[in-house]
Amino acid sequence: MSRLFQQLGVQGFMLGVWETVYLTFLSTFVAYLIGLPLGILLCVTDKGGIRPVVWLNKLVGFVVNILRSIPFIILMVALIPVSRAIVGTSIGNAAMIFMLIVAAAPYIARMVESSVKEVDSGVIEAARSMGAGTFEIVWKVLLPEAKPSLIVGAVISTVTVLGYSAMAGTIAAGGLGSIAVTQARPSNAQDVIWLCVALMVVIVQIVQEAGMVLAKKTDKRIRSEKSKNKKIKSKGDIS
Amino acid sequence: MIQLLHLTKQYPSPAGPVAALSDVTLTIPDGAIFGVIGLSGAGKSTLVRCINLLEKPTSGQVLIDGEDLMKVKKRRLLEVRRSIGMIFQNFNLLEQRTVEDNVRFPLEIARFDKEKRGERVRELLRLVGLSEKAKAYPSQLSGGQKQRVAIARALATDPKYLLCDEATSALDPNTTASILALLKEINASLGVTIVVITHEMRVVESICTDVAVIGDSRIAETGKVTEVFSDPKSEIARELIIPELIRSVKSGGGNKLRLIFDGTVSDMPIISALAMDVGAAVNILYADTKNIDGMPFGHMVITLPAEEEKAAAVKRYLSEKHVQYKEEI
Repeated sequence: MSRLFQQLGVQGFMLGVWETVYLTFLSTFVAYLIGLPLGILLCVTDKGGIRPVVWLNKLVGFVVNILRSIPFIILMVALIPVSRAIVGTSIGNAAMIFMLIVAAAPYIARMVESSVKEVDSGVIEAARSMGAGTFEIVWKVLLPEAKPSLIVGAVISTVTVLGYSAMAGTIAAGGLGSIAVTQARPSNAQDVIWLCVALMVVIVQIVQEAGMVLAKKTDKRIRSEKSKNKKIKSKGDIS
Repeated sequence: MIQLLHLTKQYPSPAGPVAALSDVTLTIPDGAIFGVIGLSGAGKSTLVRCINLLEKPTSGQVLIDGEDLMKVKKRRLLEVRRSIGMIFQNFNLLEQRTVEDNVRFPLEIARFDKEKRGERVRELLRLVGLSEKAKAYPSQLSGGQKQRVAIARALATDPKYLLCDEATSALDPNTTASILALLKEINASLGVTIVVITHEMRVVESICTDVAVIGDSRIAETGKVTEVFSDPKSEIARELIIPELIRSVKSGGGNKLRLIFDGTVSDMPIISALAMDVGAAVNILYADTKNIDGMPFGHMVITLPAEEEKAAAVKRYLSEKHVQYKEEI
């Protein structure tokens, strides 16, 4: 057992787990507050959407694409001055959360867009024929009908953000990634690195499983036992 | 009353605009079950979507009870749409809502009194015979049941008009019959004017009072079903309604008569009567009778005897017996 392992102890690892979970969930949550409306906007204003506004769609799509094409580690460096201006600091957990939000929001916007686009156009047409306006279609048709898919998307987004959060060490924020990269790596404490990896795997598994169960429970499309089993299998394959 | 005046709808395409509707003028009288029949791609679906402006016509007028929908504000259009129910080939139910919540949906959109929604939903499910499925989800229903839910949903806001876009095309013959019976009942008991878009003759035959035949983006022919079906005049209507007859007329040689049975003489053994009373042996090229609105209608194509005299005698005899006929070449 390495000296670092003993130094950290149960408490040190627990803190790492807590910081990882907290960085990931808080930033994913806030990123959804931005990404969800953006994703809906991308879908609704698209050519052939329920309220096409081509220039707005192009503009938002362009910004989202730019943010998504920058690798996270580079985005972090680029965001240092922005973070200092907005959050007041460019290091630590607060700065990390800010950067994770900036990186995750456009990703989430695309996830939401693709989920909402899956909603059958016939159902939207039926709602229009009943005199539903744009807002009612979004609120009462698109979101509820896309809910299972949106939940699956949220799971994937959360796991992605969890991966990003491992880079927290670079700006002196906490979490398992930080322990593994900035503390265990220099002192070559292999046991610490592997435990961090194992803990990360456990967190991802829990998020994944809980998310899938939730998605399956909310989906009212397939109910019979036989097809139920099929559904679980195919969902497992996707993610 | 629904009136379409000089409707034109064009879609842009790389090769220039393509016409889905060309100068379509149509009046759908209140209380009618109005069929619009045509081959796929003829413009039927576009036509029905122009009635509630799901598709905006390129030009022309859409008059609903005299109000031109092309000129009204968006807010008013949404209001008018609530008075026009619509059902679809693929049912288009909200998959994540129960049957009762599907029926409740248009009531939410129309801001129907919250207290009375439950009562109204129960009433509608009773009407379509699905009260016991209230808590089921669409994926648990058969096609016919889904269409019944869609009908209940379309009728929720008590519309004056009901548009049916190929509503039975995805159903088997028995289920089709039961859905058509339901539509007929709704028309009779609630006085809802129904517009039926279909490519199936039997749908028009079994429930429609009026029919418009659409072909190649134009209205080819329109009138009472009994008239149009017993004597279709346009080429496209004849091909749709009496395709075998057209073939039989085109194939055989010699002079031919098409006998038209209009419900009064159908049961009479006219051919054997011809042989016995006139002494003319005629050849039957084609015969088909259909039951429309409970009355027998049909066509029969016969070859006339070669001798002028005999042929004239046959015609005279038919006139005496009040059998309508037309010479076919």
